[in-house]
Amino acid sequence: MKSSPENRIACEILAGNAPQKGTIFNIQRFSIDDGPGIRTTVFMKGCPLRCVWCHNPEGIKREPQLMWFDVRCIGDMECVEACPKSALDLRPGGMVIDRSVCDSCGLCVVACPSGALELVGKVLSTLEVLEEVKRDEVFYKNSNGGVTVSGGEPAVQPDFVLELLLLCKDSKMHTALDTSAYCSADVFKTLADASDMVLLDLKTMDDEKHLEYTGVSLKPILNNARYLADSRKRTWIRTPIIPGYTDESENIADLGHFVKEEMGFVERWDLLAFNNACESKYDRLDLEWKLKGVASLDSSVMEELVALARKHSGVDVHWSGPTRARMKD
Amino acid sequence: MELDIALKQDELWGPSSKLSGRVLRLRDEYFNIEKRDYFKNEIMPFTTGAKWDTVWSPNAWGVVPDLLPFHKAFMETLLLAAKKVELPEGFWEKPHIVRVAIFFSEVVTKYLPVKILDGELIVGSYFNTALSRLHNEKEAKRWKKLTKRWLKEMDFLNSHGMGNAGATPGHIIPDYPRVLKIGFKGLVEYFKKLKEKAENHQHRDFLEALIICCEATRDFAERYAVEAERMAKECSVEERSQELKEIARICRKVPWEPAESFHEAVQSLWFTHMLVMVQESYPGPGLSPGRIDQYLYPYYKKDVIEGSVSRDYAKELLECFWIKPNYAYDFIYRVGRNKGITSGYGQLVTIGGIGPEGEDASNELTWLILEVIEEMNLLEPKPNVRLHKNTPDDLLTRVCEMVAKAQGSPFLINFDEQSIEGLRWQGLPEDALWDYAPVGCLENTLQGNDRSGTVDVNVNLAKAVELTLFDGKDLETGDRLGPRTGDPTNFETWEDFKTGFETQLKSLLMRFIEFYNFCDTLRSSLEPTPYLSSIVRGCAESGRDVTAGGCEHNYVTVEGVAFATAVDSLIAIKKLIFEDRVLSMAELISAIKDNFEGHEKIRQILINKAPKYGNDDDYADEMARYLSRLWTEEVFKHKTPTGRRYRGGYLSWNYWIAYAPLTAATPDGRKRGRFLSNGICPVDGTDKKGPTAIALSISKLGLESAPNGDSHTISFNPSLFRGSGRIEKLMSYLRSYCEKGGTAIQINMIDPQTLRMAQQNPSDYQNLLVRVTGYNAYFVMLGKEIQDEIIARESHCL
Repeated sequence: MKSSPENRIACEILAGNAPQKGTIFNIQRFSIDDGPGIRTTVFMKGCPLRCVWCHNPEGIKREPQLMWFDVRCIGDMECVEACPKSALDLRPGGMVIDRSVCDSCGLCVVACPSGALELVGKVLSTLEVLEEVKRDEVFYKNSNGGVTVSGGEPAVQPDFVLELLLLCKDSKMHTALDTSAYCSADVFKTLADASDMVLLDLKTMDDEKHLEYTGVSLKPILNNARYLADSRKRTWIRTPIIPGYTDESENIADLGHFVKEEMGFVERWDLLAFNNACESKYDRLDLEWKLKGVASLDSSVMEELVALARKHSGVDVHWSGPTRARMKD
Repeated sequence: MELDIALKQDELWGPSSKLSGRVLRLRDEYFNIEKRDYFKNEIMPFTTGAKWDTVWSPNAWGVVPDLLPFHKAFMETLLLAAKKVELPEGFWEKPHIVRVAIFFSEVVTKYLPVKILDGELIVGSYFNTALSRLHNEKEAKRWKKLTKRWLKEMDFLNSHGMGNAGATPGHIIPDYPRVLKIGFKGLVEYFKKLKEKAENHQHRDFLEALIICCEATRDFAERYAVEAERMAKECSVEERSQELKEIARICRKVPWEPAESFHEAVQSLWFTHMLVMVQESYPGPGLSPGRIDQYLYPYYKKDVIEGSVSRDYAKELLECFWIKPNYAYDFIYRVGRNKGITSGYGQLVTIGGIGPEGEDASNELTWLILEVIEEMNLLEPKPNVRLHKNTPDDLLTRVCEMVAKAQGSPFLINFDEQSIEGLRWQGLPEDALWDYAPVGCLENTLQGNDRSGTVDVNVNLAKAVELTLFDGKDLETGDRLGPRTGDPTNFETWEDFKTGFETQLKSLLMRFIEFYNFCDTLRSSLEPTPYLSSIVRGCAESGRDVTAGGCEHNYVTVEGVAFATAVDSLIAIKKLIFEDRVLSMAELISAIKDNFEGHEKIRQILINKAPKYGNDDDYADEMARYLSRLWTEEVFKHKTPTGRRYRGGYLSWNYWIAYAPLTAATPDGRKRGRFLSNGICPVDGTDKKGPTAIALSISKLGLESAPNGDSHTISFNPSLFRGSGRIEKLMSYLRSYCEKGGTAIQINMIDPQTLRMAQQNPSDYQNLLVRVTGYNAYFVMLGKEIQDEIIARESHCL
């Protein structure tokens, strides 16, 4: 007699309707920083934003990509021979991947004995992902945790994500949508409605700067954010604090103001301190890391920003991330 | 037992600033052994003077194979240095057990020096001994013959990396609560009654020996009373003088009379405990006080909660007690405190856990003891917390906070549900299971009536893989260690290999069972310990010594060493050779013969193309379960001639290091010399799916068939659990671990030094999680610069 949407989806799949397929670049268990409790985070591949500071560059492109790990390579050359497109060339300076011809078929990954080549991005069905995230159910139950769908940007693969969220819900697992909210109002509404909570990334309140830093306009994001308030959705805000980009007091004050005035149901706001940890990932993808050499923030700066954010937003604010040791007098 | 490699004790084990001046001074005094010329608890040998006497028994040290080259020297030098004890008239006409008792009594009432340290409230200082084994000429001849045989077989087993065994002292929880309740006086009365009813002279002699030992405790404590009185008279500080008078009063009372106050109970406990070490001539390994927050509680309640003793004073008493077991380490002051043989002694105290109805049994004393553990920050006594599904949140929070901020592992955390399930599987009585407690490192036993030989046999499971690959021969020496199971290149199916492996494993086990039966007989017939027998239930009634299967429950534990190395090896063979056929058996054998030199590609395939245990991978975990059940159920089929049943467990002490060079390269891609796996842990660096996956892999093993308890150490970066809401995540991790069926866990918080090691040897640390903004990362996958930054940074709530 049940007729909830999640149950309907589950029944349809059981009845033989093929489950949706999506491209996922990581399923990370024991995520303790992506929402409440112990969680498994499903990272969806593909993102419309081009944030200068992007920490998951492997999540930007929608298609699977090949990555080469220099420390694992034993120079066996099996991969070079296995490639039907001759896209690989192992030179003294390292592996050169001709990305214009590589179609991420993965034959080299199979051939490599030492695991030096990895395909970032796997095509999986919602049921396969469900099976994986269900493994840690006991940890979710005891920690009030659950499943977080993140990215990239989950809204890039809306049908898959919707089905996954509903299947999780049908299995009584708590769900969180970690999103930039840069998508159509319809898609956003559908995905937010299907999630138990939303982790919303807000970077800056200045539309011009937003366009400059991320490549997209702020407007649809704010509209979608307002929908969370209207629908009384449990929401956490996350703001990356990037030196020279988002770390000005003014920016935090503006964001705080928006949170207070226009988003009534924000439960928590996290300020995430910048770090350089992703640099090696850029190298492996043959991409340029624009913030090379930028120093970490001082912990006292983070403390100040937290105080400011608290003052302007009136919500529970935390910070995390690596910071420089404070100089002692 | 636990290995501490190159202890940086002073750095690692700093005291709290909250300690009282008295306790801090006593604590510093312990560490300053060089300056302590007035008191060193070094090994003191005592002899009968007979020229055939022996004061050192290699069999007792079988499980410390590092000592094998030194036994002869120890035997000789200790005997030379031994003090001769004057023996009473007619001594040699007495039966051996009575001689042992009389000698013990003479030593503790006349010879063992008495020392009360400045300011201490709990007294009893010298306990490291090497006592004569009290053999007459004929017994000595037999002992020497057997010991020679023992040394030969033990040397063979150990030098081939097969394992080791020995009739190990300690590793038991004596019935201390009974001594507190009725005193040794009460025990003597009981033994006298039994003696009247005893049906044969052996039983009467045995009880006579117990009575002699019990009475010795009274006269031993009296010597401390006299010393305290003498010091009180000489003491010019009135307050200390009063304390010494009180100490004298208490020593005149306990452990002979029942304890009535908290101070008396703690003093009685320490005297009773230290005398076991005196008698066994063993510095305490595994001799464990058990659930002290339970049996000391009535005294605490009467004095502190209902009486006039302050909580602070009770805490100081406990802290004075806390220092005492650490003096066991003076034993190895000369033979190797700084030479790498340093080991933790594992006098394990247990707090928390359930009561008889399954209810939470924690109390105010549990909380006080947590404070003591935190503030003392000492190696001994090793603390264990029993958790269960109804452990109150506030207690669990407190424990997790202590774990999160510690360097190293402050606790063994034991899970009641699965531990009890194992003891039930083993066949222990249902109504006693709730009151179990671990000894040593983590080995579960009942209290007061159970000797389970918890570390007495250690077998290298990975060796059975080597023997299957080489038709029963050791690769390095060519020596035959197992039966002929055939040339594995002729094996056509996985089943063929499996059959060969099972044959080798069972044969390896049988060799150890035969050897341990020999160890057990050697000890039970020639090295009884009547004092210990007097405080272990069942011995007096059965008329048999605790070494001879006299107590109510008697087991011998066979610890499987290198479990995960063996499992991953079997997986690789099954998957890559027989299923995927990407390698041939001949290629594998050739690569292993060459220790993978010139076969790096094969090694990489073995590492990367076969699943590994510890990742919640059902294929791999099924193999792990297969091996665990095969091993533990096979072990359980056997008994010693003294009637002790063998049971399985997983504890690898330091053998995963020691046997690494003695085990050929393994089919999981490990080269000879690389460490074997430890306890029930996955092979270092192969668990890539994080802590939840490891917990679930372990939960699939069906560990009830390994009732001894299963060593699992997990490492986290301390930063993981700093910051708001983090402790709750650690708590729920532990609750889930408990629910899914782990038996015990130790949590390591990884310090920057380790991170530096990880940076230099990334393949050894592939599983090391660190937190980086927004997500957890595997440390070794980060670029060098960020690694440097993580090492150097100030960790706030990162």
